[in-house]
Amino acid sequence: MNDRYFERAVETMPRDQLEKLQEEKLLGDLLPWAYERSPLVRDTWERTGVTIDDIKTMDDFREKVPFIDKDAIRRFRDGSNDRYGGLLCVDPLRAGGPFTAVFSTSGTTGDPTLVPSVTSGPSILTREFWEMGCRPGEYFVEMLFTYRGPGIHQTIRGIGATPVFVDHSPFEFPNVYRLSRELRPTGWYTMSTPLILALDQMAPSMGIDPVDMFASYKGVVYAGEPLGARARALLESWGVDFFVHTGVADVGAATECREHDGCHIWEDIAFVEVLDPEGDEPVADGERGELVGTTLVDKIAPLVRYRSDDLVRVTQERCACGRTHARMWPVGRKSDEVVVDGVSVLPGDIWPAIESVPETSAALFQVIRSGRELDRLRLRVGYAREGPHGLADLRGRVVDAVEATIGVAPDVELVPNEELLRQGPPHKIPRVAKR
Amino acid sequence: MSSTVRMPAPDVWGVGRVLIGGQTVPWAVSQRDVDDESRAHVVSMRRLGVGVGDVVVICSLLSETIHVFPLEQAANLVGARYSSTDATEFDAFRTAAMIRQVSPTAVIGVNRDVVTGLRNLGHDLREVFEPVGAVATTDDDAHRALEHAGLAPRRWLKLGPTSGFECGERDGVHFDAARLRVGVGGDGGLTVTTTANRLTACADLPIGLRGELVSDPCPCGSDDPRVRLTQSSG
Repeated sequence: MNDRYFERAVETMPRDQLEKLQEEKLLGDLLPWAYERSPLVRDTWERTGVTIDDIKTMDDFREKVPFIDKDAIRRFRDGSNDRYGGLLCVDPLRAGGPFTAVFSTSGTTGDPTLVPSVTSGPSILTREFWEMGCRPGEYFVEMLFTYRGPGIHQTIRGIGATPVFVDHSPFEFPNVYRLSRELRPTGWYTMSTPLILALDQMAPSMGIDPVDMFASYKGVVYAGEPLGARARALLESWGVDFFVHTGVADVGAATECREHDGCHIWEDIAFVEVLDPEGDEPVADGERGELVGTTLVDKIAPLVRYRSDDLVRVTQERCACGRTHARMWPVGRKSDEVVVDGVSVLPGDIWPAIESVPETSAALFQVIRSGRELDRLRLRVGYAREGPHGLADLRGRVVDAVEATIGVAPDVELVPNEELLRQGPPHKIPRVAKR
Repeated sequence: MSSTVRMPAPDVWGVGRVLIGGQTVPWAVSQRDVDDESRAHVVSMRRLGVGVGDVVVICSLLSETIHVFPLEQAANLVGARYSSTDATEFDAFRTAAMIRQVSPTAVIGVNRDVVTGLRNLGHDLREVFEPVGAVATTDDDAHRALEHAGLAPRRWLKLGPTSGFECGERDGVHFDAARLRVGVGGDGGLTVTTTANRLTACADLPIGLRGELVSDPCPCGSDDPRVRLTQSSG
């Protein structure tokens, strides 16, 4: 185990074997289980006239199995009085069973949906933490932006390290600085854009030298939203080797390896498809599409062909690290997209323009999205200071920067950064607002 | 999503924090510590009315893990399930949503930020919490707000590396005398001493609160001693 792989045989498994493993898990185990026990899966399939007997091959799966999405779960929940949205495949009343906790989705896109969970044992993130270089006997800062049970504690302990629990708040930095110098932790999960910007701003007054604070870390996991150029430059200036981390259609998570060339999707636990966002056809390898995920391991509340709303690029090309599992680059959310005069615009498209203006370089902005098709692009943009020539001048420079980047001149409302930060959870702000 | 491989577990289960006289101090605990705390909190769960098939919602922060994890395990030990929300203003909407969706028997960890968040969202505290059998608060602001709303909240009080709860009588926080000794220092401040074997032991640790010890049997039937606060819990 002294190499970079935590589970070498699985992480470097030849693709034909990996795909065979997926087929065995999906067709031989997960799918019959879910079809028999999940009311949502059974109901969704019956509505389209599909039964488990129709699914004999992976091609059958791709061609015939109907999709579900978060709205379908909410509809089932509200229409059937089933609090678990028809996902639960075990008896919720059986004491001592595997179902030990009830978590929920974040509620970013509406009423949170319940996620029944098994919370024993380390997660697959052990592979990522090991790849970062963290090893037994070391300390590992756990600064997750939300508390959802002991899964991450157990994962850190799963690589033989010890978690150090701190809150995802800039006011924790003095405490983290002290702990970092005393315990010399080697891993950090997770860092976010608001924390990076806050550290840059507050470090001098807090007596913190960020380079010194991060000196012991072999890897810092970054998550929450796309990493902009300014936040990236700050991390680099502090000497941080950071690893971008993202969710995989609510059936897994993906993290960069030390090659920093895409986030690895662990395909032994998740079967992923990348489809035309407006249809059902797969896009070519590396092309932008909607991520659709199917769990291969979750028997408590399995998601089958779950349309995530996430726009991604995915390649199955072997990574330079030697791993064979697919790699993913998040692009944005399908429901965040607006079309202005026929031009598709995602928050990520605007990001570099906002960052390029010094007073708005924190890239705190929102797209005002009253619908998908818009006559005018409206942006709410946060600023740190008015600049030498006042707000009107600043607004003009932001408009010019956006137009130069995407070819669409926006209407811009300027607000202080703090106003936008107040709207978000600790690790990000809502990038789309209805008004 | 679990991994099939794992390294030998480290001796230190985790490093959390304990409040000593208003200052946070790093606090290392072992697996044996958290297992023992979990067993001790089985009584707490029963005190809150949590039993087989129930759900308990725990509002907390990650920094509170050494106090919260034993509660989660204790919920499982009594045959219940737990749910987590963040004890923050922002996540208050999810606390309300979870109460509505999972009908918990108890909600633990309501603080002033959760109350502020609920109010900012236009929630009526009574409507949110009335369906819950037992609501345990962590500070005076939240406690008073719930009382003002016509509810009968109980206190969840951190006592150094452990914690205790009020029962339905709401007349002092019960603590486990087999594992902890609570004293009153010369200045009237409460101190705690671990009497069970712990990775990090403490003796006469000032916890920054004033109160009195109650050793009379509680009307709830428990012989556990209690701490009745005489000064703000924050």
